[in-house]
Amino acid sequence: MTVLREEGDVRLDTSAPSRVSLRLGPDAGAAYLVLQDDASADRVETDFDIRLAAGASLEMVFLSLRGEVLRNRIRVSLDGERASCSLNGLCLAGGSQQRDFDILLTHQVPACHSTQLFKSILGGGSVAHFDGLIKVVPDAQKTEAYQANHNLLVSDSARAHTRPQLEIYADDVKCSHGATVGRLNPDELFYMRSRGITLEEARLLQQLAFADEILEKIPVPEWQQRMRILVEECLR
Amino acid sequence: MNTLLKIENLHARVGEKEILRGIDLEIRAGEVHAIMGPNGSGKSTLSAVLAGRDTFTVTEGSVTYDGRDLLALTPEERSWAGIFLGFQYPTEIPGVSNVNLMKAAVAEHRKQRGLEPLGAAAFLKLMREKMAYVEMDSSFSSRGVNVGFSGGEKKRNEIFQMAMLEPRLAILDETDSGLDVDALRIVASGVNKLKRPDNAFIVITHYQRLLDYIVPDVIHVLYKGRIIKTAGRELALEIEEKGYDWLIHQSE
Repeated sequence: MTVLREEGDVRLDTSAPSRVSLRLGPDAGAAYLVLQDDASADRVETDFDIRLAAGASLEMVFLSLRGEVLRNRIRVSLDGERASCSLNGLCLAGGSQQRDFDILLTHQVPACHSTQLFKSILGGGSVAHFDGLIKVVPDAQKTEAYQANHNLLVSDSARAHTRPQLEIYADDVKCSHGATVGRLNPDELFYMRSRGITLEEARLLQQLAFADEILEKIPVPEWQQRMRILVEECLR
Repeated sequence: MNTLLKIENLHARVGEKEILRGIDLEIRAGEVHAIMGPNGSGKSTLSAVLAGRDTFTVTEGSVTYDGRDLLALTPEERSWAGIFLGFQYPTEIPGVSNVNLMKAAVAEHRKQRGLEPLGAAAFLKLMREKMAYVEMDSSFSSRGVNVGFSGGEKKRNEIFQMAMLEPRLAILDETDSGLDVDALRIVASGVNKLKRPDNAFIVITHYQRLLDYIVPDVIHVLYKGRIIKTAGRELALEIEEKGYDWLIHQSE
């Protein structure tokens, strides 16, 4: 887990195995990159327990690149008003690999803001699960919460299971969720090939374009560029 | 003059529907051919078949380009061999910038010719130079390919890409559709600047208007998948005045 930014009262505890505890105090700010990229890993399961106090702001980007089974269980509680949380993730998988994101994000108090954007590029016989729930308690008015999960299948046997869910008990909120599962666009591929770009390269360009929306969420340009190169290396 | 493209008895279908029903066409280097015809006559199918779109199946006939069997080549191989298709409806590719598309395309073309990739500075200079052909603002280079472009901007982008790749045979599929007079003039002057004695153009159009700016050597009229008339440029004016009906009657 790479610290990209920490300001104010931030308590990050990674001492327990497979367990990350993160507490952001009032008006604290933090940004992290969680890079999961160990090709020899059989199974990596990580629990994230995250709490934000009033006015705190958190940005996280998860990159689940190489490794057999990668599972992330994320619990976020927005405990103080005006807290804001942005969760983003990119999964790449091939062969018999598996990628899981299980997310529960709870708006406990009014006027908090949360966004989630998770994407997967799946080849071979790989499988991705996305299970995301946004919960808005009765008093959490003026909540804004958005969640999206998009999957790109680049082989015939790859599969994506997606379950975006909202549970809203307040009435003055702005919330949305959505999911898509798609394939490479044949019109785009033909257009690129008609300009002399090989089929292989055209497929790669389309996948990089799909991934880039997540990479752009990395708030430090040097890290963004490094991760772009790494993702391209994985996709080649 | 040497023949660049020779189409013989070309038949093609999409699904069960036969769209091209025996096309014969010969194009020599240095020539501009216009293909006109009413809607649904097969004009766009012909251009798509020449560019290698796999939604169409060629059932009969042959296409020889520069002495090679064109139909045996993949779309990218056709591009390397010098074929360029200007799309009637250019595809939008969100997330792939114009500059990255052209970088990949130019690098591949150079690789096929055994050349090193262009350096960054030389490439940007080339981009700027060719964008000027079609009066395109440099801000377009960083934008997603055709994403949010107006109809005229998309067509100018096609001509820009053509200028970058310097094809030997350019097929422009209704490049004039949806263009106002200014955009039409810009697109046409871009084409005229690229005309050389060793390349050729197929200009597909509905209207005589474009042919005021891009002057063809030959005009063909396509109807129900066949060329029903071939004549000089004066035919365009006759079509503008009288429509296609008299030609269709003559052919039936």
